Amino acid sequence: MRRVGYPAEIVDLISHLKRLPGIGPKSAERIAIWLLRAKGEFAFEFSGAIRSAKEQVAFCRFCGFFASGQDGCDFCNDPDRNTECICVVEQPTDMLPIERTGAFRGHYHSLGGKISPLDNIGPDELRIDSLVQRIKNGEVNEIILAVGSDVEGEATASFLADHLKRIDLGRPLAITRIAQGMPAGGGLESADELTLFRALDGRRSL
Amino acid sequence: MRVSALRLHQFRCFGSLSCELGEGVNLFTGDNAQGKTSLVESICVLLRLQSPRTSSSSDLAQFGADAFGIRAILDGERELSHSWQAGKRRLALDGSPCRKSGDYLEASGLVVWMGNEDIQLVRGAGDSRRRYLDFAASQLYPDYRPALLAYEKALRSRNFLLKRDASPNWRQIDAYSGVLIRHGEIVIRRRSELVSQLQPWAAEAHTHVGGSRETLAISYVSGSGSSFTQSLAESQPEELRRRVTVVGPHRDDLQLLIDGRSAGQYASEGQQRTVALSLKLAQARLLQERRQTMPIILVDDIFGELDPGRRNALLSYLPAAAQKMITTTHLNWLDSNGGALSSAARFHVHAGEVVRIS
Ligand SMILES: [Zn+2]
Repeated sequence: MRRVGYPAEIVDLISHLKRLPGIGPKSAERIAIWLLRAKGEFAFEFSGAIRSAKEQVAFCRFCGFFASGQDGCDFCNDPDRNTECICVVEQPTDMLPIERTGAFRGHYHSLGGKISPLDNIGPDELRIDSLVQRIKNGEVNEIILAVGSDVEGEATASFLADHLKRIDLGRPLAITRIAQGMPAGGGLESADELTLFRALDGRRSL
Repeated sequence: MRVSALRLHQFRCFGSLSCELGEGVNLFTGDNAQGKTSLVESICVLLRLQSPRTSSSSDLAQFGADAFGIRAILDGERELSHSWQAGKRRLALDGSPCRKSGDYLEASGLVVWMGNEDIQLVRGAGDSRRRYLDFAASQLYPDYRPALLAYEKALRSRNFLLKRDASPNWRQIDAYSGVLIRHGEIVIRRRSELVSQLQPWAAEAHTHVGGSRETLAISYVSGSGSSFTQSLAESQPEELRRRVTVVGPHRDDLQLLIDGRSAGQYASEGQQRTVALSLKLAQARLLQERRQTMPIILVDDIFGELDPGRRNALLSYLPAAAQKMITTTHLNWLDSNGGALSSAARFHVHAGEVVRIS
């Protein structure tokens, strides 16, 4: 006797859900069935939300944060922010935790990663040129390096500090690194607000 | 410290095992390849997250399995659990997941491992001696293991960069030099501190176990001169030639001298075994003194290799109050040592099964 399973459409949905982070086969099956049974238009609204987020949202061409449309993100378009200071982070998701501390009112710049030669990620793969352009074009006089405190984060900070010091600006540029005390080996995402607040407060010059 | 209620799941030759360990000496007898060593190894893997026999967790899973689990109670109150599945390690303390291995190790027990392969500490290359220092230092200094892991990672990246390009990109390499130095200096400082603290204990143990007037002297030999920063800068021409980082703690060594002569080169096999034992006994004494708690002593099959004099000296020098797990193939030496081991819990290990016999 043939073993009966779900129809092909459900199997397909489950196999998509299984690819989501943190979703195992059992959860994928449960979610798929739940979606099919959800009341009203939920499943259609949900798929529409995914589609429009995917179609509309891109990375801000200035700072690398998420933006809808071509005119930059809410950070870059905020006239009340301090334009003299840029906080450099590894990932766009690192900006909001720093923002929540309330200790920083400048602009951000996401590198889109960190130097990691063993993973074939070198300086050319990071958004370093666009950072240099922003420094040259604007009135920036302080760069805060808020990359992680793991080995790659440290190497990235060290490379960037050296790289930025070589820019011929005709004005002083302070380069600081947020204080240690970030979770060892972890990115900014896992740091709590107080730790981040202290880290920003205790930044030291490189 | 005491481990009890050891449970193994798909670990080496053990499909499923439950073993109630005694508080004092636990003797495991049985033929070779029946699981004695694996049993004692599991305690080391549970407590220190590393095996003296392999650096790959997949070796620890039972043949054909892609997972293993070890659990035990420490000091009658804390449950430690270490499991591994498909490349992922899971640690738990009292049933709650422990994400940071540093926190787990801090809460775990102290271990001294003594095995037949210890003779490599004297005969073998520097990496055996560095592993010995690392194992001891990780249990003494909370900052040691994170620094060592970061150092090793930075070293791998730096060596990769040195090899990668026809003309090395020094700006990228130097980004790693600073990281290497920062973590390397912690490793250097701790190793040097460790060796000077081990020295008196090693000399004393050597006199006791060796039973001769020869003096053992151990000293730290830095692989980076007196200043790591300076040595690294000066080694650049050689790095360019050899495309590898040539100075640093990965080139450290531990010098072992008997009456001023190299133990590795000039000592007899018996003398070398005594030196190796002395290093391990010194580790036990230092852990006990510095951490104010008794390490758990794991002794794998070394008694058969020792003459009765050294055997008795060793048995009497091991900290009496420490919990000990001792494996042995031959029983003939046992009964002549009735005194020290008469109260031992005895187990027979056969084909992955463990039976208590007294
Ligand atoms: Zn932006």
